[in-house]
Amino acid sequence: MADPLTRPKVSRLSSLGTRLVIFFVALLVLVQGLGAFLVIQANSQIARQTIDQELEQGERVFRRLLAQNQARLEQGAAILSADFAFRQAIATDDGGTIASVLRNHGARVGATVMMLVSLDKVVKADTGDPSRIGRPFAFPALIDAGTAEGKASSIVLLGERLHQLVVVPVLAPDPIAYVGLAFEVDDAAAQEMNRLSGLEVSFVSGQGEASRLHASTLAPALRTALSGALASLPPGGAFREVDLGGEEYETRTAALPTSTASVVAVLQKPLAVGLAPFLRISTAFFWLTAAGLVALVIGSLVIARSITRPVSRLADAARRVQEGDYTRHLEPAGRDEIGELAVSFNHMLDGIQSREKEILRLAYEDGLTGLPNRAMFNQQLEQAVRTARRESQPLAVMIFDMDRFKAINDTLGHPVGDQALREVGLRVRKALRDSDVVARLGGDEFAILLATGSAEHAIRVVAGKIIGCLEAPLVIDGQSMDIAASIGIARFPEHGEEASALMRAADVAMYAAKRSKSGFEVYDPTHDERRQEYLSLLGELRRAVEAGELVLHYQPKMSLAENRTTSVEALVRWRHPTRGFVPPSEFIPFAEQTGYISSITRWVMGRAIEQAGEWHRLGLGIRMCVNVSARDLRSEDTLVQYVWAALLAAELPPGMLCLEVTESSLMDDPRSAQSTLRKLRDLGIATSIDDYGTGYSSLAYIKQLAVNELKIDRAFVSGMEADSRNAAIVRSTIELGHNLGLSVVAEGVETEHELAELRRFGCDVIQGYLYARPMAAEALEGWLGGTRERAGGSLRATTTSARALRGER
Amino acid sequence: MSRRVLLAIALAAGAVHAATLEVRARDTGGAPLADAAVFAVPAFGATDAKGARVEIAQADREFVPFVSVIQQGTAVSFPNRDPILHHVYSFSHAKPFEFKLYTGKSPGEIVFDKSGVVTLGCNIHDWMIAYVVIVPTPHFAKSDADGVARLRDLPAGSYELRAWHPNQKVAPANQSVVLDAAANSRATFAIDTAPRKPKFKPPLDRLRY
Repeated sequence: MADPLTRPKVSRLSSLGTRLVIFFVALLVLVQGLGAFLVIQANSQIARQTIDQELEQGERVFRRLLAQNQARLEQGAAILSADFAFRQAIATDDGGTIASVLRNHGARVGATVMMLVSLDKVVKADTGDPSRIGRPFAFPALIDAGTAEGKASSIVLLGERLHQLVVVPVLAPDPIAYVGLAFEVDDAAAQEMNRLSGLEVSFVSGQGEASRLHASTLAPALRTALSGALASLPPGGAFREVDLGGEEYETRTAALPTSTASVVAVLQKPLAVGLAPFLRISTAFFWLTAAGLVALVIGSLVIARSITRPVSRLADAARRVQEGDYTRHLEPAGRDEIGELAVSFNHMLDGIQSREKEILRLAYEDGLTGLPNRAMFNQQLEQAVRTARRESQPLAVMIFDMDRFKAINDTLGHPVGDQALREVGLRVRKALRDSDVVARLGGDEFAILLATGSAEHAIRVVAGKIIGCLEAPLVIDGQSMDIAASIGIARFPEHGEEASALMRAADVAMYAAKRSKSGFEVYDPTHDERRQEYLSLLGELRRAVEAGELVLHYQPKMSLAENRTTSVEALVRWRHPTRGFVPPSEFIPFAEQTGYISSITRWVMGRAIEQAGEWHRLGLGIRMCVNVSARDLRSEDTLVQYVWAALLAAELPPGMLCLEVTESSLMDDPRSAQSTLRKLRDLGIATSIDDYGTGYSSLAYIKQLAVNELKIDRAFVSGMEADSRNAAIVRSTIELGHNLGLSVVAEGVETEHELAELRRFGCDVIQGYLYARPMAAEALEGWLGGTRERAGGSLRATTTSARALRGER
Repeated sequence: MSRRVLLAIALAAGAVHAATLEVRARDTGGAPLADAAVFAVPAFGATDAKGARVEIAQADREFVPFVSVIQQGTAVSFPNRDPILHHVYSFSHAKPFEFKLYTGKSPGEIVFDKSGVVTLGCNIHDWMIAYVVIVPTPHFAKSDADGVARLRDLPAGSYELRAWHPNQKVAPANQSVVLDAAANSRATFAIDTAPRKPKFKPPLDRLRY
């Protein structure tokens, strides 16, 4: 799984910045875009309206100009018509004079064409086209209007050209003729209009296909374009866009006062001109947006960085914490939320730091004794080994545990056991130099790392010191108890180059010390060999039951009252195919540890009961005693059922079976032991407490148990001769047992003295080499025959070697 | 003036039996028309007036009278009674003339020796207009406000009765009349007229110019 702290920080930070930038840019673009859309739409609408208004206004100006022009012309005409000489010339009917007067006056008012029309509407003179002379005047309606109003005017086509024609009567003082003044509407006139109205002005006559462009302010190319578009020009008063030479012109036509052909003025204004201000606004808007975007991007990045920089500092700090560096605090970073976070982070650092110290303390210190624990010891040992190797210095490791500590714990309870351990730790610590490391490895196991430079004899002195400091009994809660330690010693570099090898060597040596009861042992490779044997034996033990390598030997027990063998104890023997005889003490404890003891017990039980059944049928009258482990006792129903099934199968009366339970196994789980024993007794099976006196059970407790027999531990029996206190214990035990209605058995009887004493104390049954060794079934049968023959004969003397072997249980 | 003319006619026709012809001038709607010139041209013996004199004055910036009917050959003077100058002209074929810028006494007399209508104008004042109807007969009259023109002392005989009015659209048709001595006759002219649009006459300013 990817650790978030180890991800590349740049992408994470930039992504935050990027997200900010993208969000704000998108927002701005959206808002500005929407605004721009609305503004542009409104602008183009306003621009169009403005142009249209301009066109309308232009049209009004145009019409006003037209009217002013007309008025000017009319005035000119009126003045001319009132000129006395002119009238005189007309009155004289002098054609040549009339023509020259007309020409002269035409030039004076700027008229293009001058005409004289008689009262009967016949052209009398025409400066433009003499061919019209003598013909009817083309615009009689103007004459009538002129008669009525004193003047009349219209836009007319004279030939092909567009003119503004003004007709006034010549008064003397009644009309005697009419004079017409025509002014051509040409490009110059259009330019004049344009100058005043600001519009493009074009004059068009006719409609649709027949329409003609007469004058315009447009460039020649655009005129052609307009001519092309004439057919589709809008009716007067309407607006329309006309494309001229790629440019859009808003266009409006204005109908002109005319008497003949339809003549319109086309007024135009380029849309672009109207849109220009809005285009400027739009451009400004665009640049404003662009500048805003730039400012926004920069601003967002600055803000993002102002957030991400402290965040990345936090991330760096978190990474340092991950790497185990708690010492570097964050600098105070402002008063914002991130600053608060930094402060919290620093507090967290302090918290982690103090908790880690506590955890380290807990991890490396033994809570009970306050001494370093196994982990700490291993570290220090490794450190010491490295130093010793570098400086070629020797060093020594000691491991020791308490002999029989389990018994203390079991009988007096764990609080007492814990106090005992604490006291041991204190004593050992006090006995050694400060430079030596004393640690508790766990349980009752302690380890000592002796400072370098320790020579062989110095090591022995230290071991002696440890043993010495534990000699004085421990007094806890007013109870005094003896303790002893077995110490294993290993030296660097002889016994191991590595810390683990040294520890193992010391461990092996400690077990050797336990076996030899010598107090301490320095590691010897032979220890290791024996240990190796153990391990392989364990593996082979599983096979032993199926392979039939286990056999039962039976040790007779003699009733002192009857002087005969009344029962035998079944003892298991292992005939290993290659190693030969393996004593029970070599494999039974391991079988108990691994749980394989149940299989062994079951096999022993089955075999012993079967054998007892056989002997019972032979009428030997011997009770079979079988040892039951603590573990068997706990699985009460299984044991009871199995035993009962075996009894039935062997047709053995329950009374001919006795199950021996060690005192310490009763203490493991008193309640279930009690229940099992009761069930067995209810079945009629006899029960016995083995090794009595090694545990701390009181007779009061024994009294509650459904047992028939008490077996005094061999340690008391064999110590009777040397120590009178032991004899007293044996004697009082026998008396107490009898008082409780129990039969008392003494085991380990090896001397005549012991036998005599036991007999004197009133012991019921004895067992030991003095009477008989354990033997195979056939041998036993033979031996029984022999003893009968010499009933009451003396018992064979034991040997010291046999006692040392201690093969019996 | 008219009395003198009438006196002259009476003197000329006194010897024979004379009659009065009462002519009514009306428009087509029947309304009486004033200022209509009515004259009877005898079938024989059209005559010029000898030494007859008539005045057409200018007063209050108007010609007075508006319509003058005179016999051919009558000399007309144009006294100016305004304190300002007038420039009287005629572009009519019957008698073109002009008197430039004068005041007071007429600069001269114009003898209208051709029959016809002469329109008088003032070159200074456009609204000033007057008509002179020159007839080839001593028998003429001008209708009064009631539209009645009386031709008195007409000798018995045949006449062509004519009429003219300044507002006429077309000249009314001539009428032939035969008069007995001492017998008064009547005639009527229905004349198609157009209303005369008065020209703008500026009011006098303080100085009466």
